[in-house]
Amino acid sequence: MTANLPILLVDVLGSVIMVVLGVLSLFKAKSLRDLDPDNVVFLYLIWICAGFTIFAVSRSFSHILRQFLVLTGSGDIWSSIGPFTGAVNTITFMLVGTVTLFFNQSWRINEKVLSAKQKHQETSAKLLELNQTLEHKVVERTEMLTSSEHKARRIFEHSLDTIVVTDPAFVIAEINQAGVELTGYRKSDILDNQMGLKDFLAVRSEREKILGLLETDEYILNEEADFLRADQSCVRVLITGGVDYGAFGCGKTFHFIIKNINDKKQMEQQIAQADKLAALGELSAGVAHEINNPLGIILGYTQLMLKQPGDHEEDLKTIEKHVKNCKIVVSDLLTFARKGSTKMQSIDVCKVVDDVINFLANHSDFRNVEVIPPQPCTRPLTVFGNEQELAQVIINLMINACHAVEKKGCILVVTGQDDQDQILITIKDNGTGIRKKDFSRIFDPFFTTKPVGQGTGLGLSVGYGIIRRHGGDITVRNRKDKGAAFTISLPKARSPQDTLDREET
Amino acid sequence: MNRKVWHISLIPACLLVLPTPAFAIQLHTGNAGIIAHQIGHLFFLFAMVALMFTINSQGLIRQKGWRQIQYGALFFIFWNLDTLVAHFLDNQIEVVRIETLSISKMAIVTQSDSQLLAVIYYFLKMDHLWCVPAMIFLFMGLDNLLKAQRQGGKGAGQ
Repeated sequence: MTANLPILLVDVLGSVIMVVLGVLSLFKAKSLRDLDPDNVVFLYLIWICAGFTIFAVSRSFSHILRQFLVLTGSGDIWSSIGPFTGAVNTITFMLVGTVTLFFNQSWRINEKVLSAKQKHQETSAKLLELNQTLEHKVVERTEMLTSSEHKARRIFEHSLDTIVVTDPAFVIAEINQAGVELTGYRKSDILDNQMGLKDFLAVRSEREKILGLLETDEYILNEEADFLRADQSCVRVLITGGVDYGAFGCGKTFHFIIKNINDKKQMEQQIAQADKLAALGELSAGVAHEINNPLGIILGYTQLMLKQPGDHEEDLKTIEKHVKNCKIVVSDLLTFARKGSTKMQSIDVCKVVDDVINFLANHSDFRNVEVIPPQPCTRPLTVFGNEQELAQVIINLMINACHAVEKKGCILVVTGQDDQDQILITIKDNGTGIRKKDFSRIFDPFFTTKPVGQGTGLGLSVGYGIIRRHGGDITVRNRKDKGAAFTISLPKARSPQDTLDREET
Repeated sequence: MNRKVWHISLIPACLLVLPTPAFAIQLHTGNAGIIAHQIGHLFFLFAMVALMFTINSQGLIRQKGWRQIQYGALFFIFWNLDTLVAHFLDNQIEVVRIETLSISKMAIVTQSDSQLLAVIYYFLKMDHLWCVPAMIFLFMGLDNLLKAQRQGGKGAGQ
């Protein structure tokens, strides 16, 4: 006889606890699986816990049922169903055992999955890093490219020299603002009309030379040419250009830089003219000095002989007249060559111009000429110089203008002051104007377009010398409608004190 | 084609008409059930041993959760040994038998009236003392694995 109660309690309570623990374990395994659904081991734990739970339920049910049936005296019933519950129990713990045997394989699979996952993460991280580096580099390069493009664009747009891009046939594809101003056309007109470089090269020989060089050498360096503008005027330019075979699929193009050297050329011509005049002045001074003394002797003896009446009085008068003319020429030459004496002082240009006009009004040559005087001066236009010399220059210009209008036209005199404090005196006529070929020689001594015997050819050259000595300049141009215009520019006397100081020096 | 089908269809007809003894199904005695059950226990025991070794070989024993699961496997081994012996005594060689007298009394009848065998069998019958701790360790192990996993450490399947 033995106590049954401990076995009964352990059996029943143990069965219940087994079921509870089985369910709780299954719940824990499921929670693990929910945290990491890709984990094969957690899936395995679910399976094994499910097996244990089934095993616990099956076993507990059979144990409790057996105790109940035996204690209630229904042992026969248990004898009949016992084998079934036993078989079920056998199956369940064999199931648990089978599942357990796969733990090693599950673990290895999981390790492979984790390894692959880690490699994938590392690769993703590397890819991300590479991508970020690439993005950073792209941003950096884009900024550099934008900056470079901006600089190039600014150079192109704001260059004071013309920059032109053409296609292989030299048709203009792009031109900057300086180029637009040089050509005188609108940019849209140049591009829409497919104007080419050759359209702007005025001189055929220059055009053929430049295009020939481009064809053979594919570049030109500092080639001078006359550039034809929209208003048919020409400016002298310096052209440098070369080929660009392009990159990134861009086609072949030519790039040109065209420099306007018109002003420089004119300045060079003026310097050459001044040099020439200076040399001539030196020469004239020498010649005049050598001739002046014999002429004085000839004139003296002639006038002495005229005091004694004789048969050759008329001849002597002729000699005296021509000697006097020669002395005038010599005097002019000396003036041109700065050999004359001058008294420099403050001069009111308005007064000098008015005196000249009043003086010439009585001249017979101006009888049929309409002289339009300048507007009355609202403020004094004062220069520092010699009044007589300045008057002489203006008279010369007025007489030249009178001859240009053939003594029956109109002469307009204008005085004023420009932005650079230069006093301007302009004498315009509506005469025949000056021929283009004469422009370079007009200030040369002894150059004249008048018939022989009517002009010495020294008026303008002497006047040029006087004005240069005053620190000024004479410019000439043909007027758009008709005639020529001579402009004397003289530096303005800055202040009375300044004038006084200069007078003293 | 039709001729071939006709010939094949004659085979089952011949089998039905001319039956002979097959001897394919073997007769099982009453002990087969308990033997199968005992093999099941042995298999379960072997699986638990394998689980213990695997946990050990993979270095998982350093982690508390897996260590507790290993303890659970050890208790299941003991439980299987317990049940193997108990079933051997009462079902296989039938040297022990229980007679339930009432809810509080029972008699353990041994073949040779061995008191020692009765005492051993009495404790063997309380096999829940092995399997319940085994399940407790399993549950605790899973609980610790879950905690480690939630903390982001390598306590579970990593």
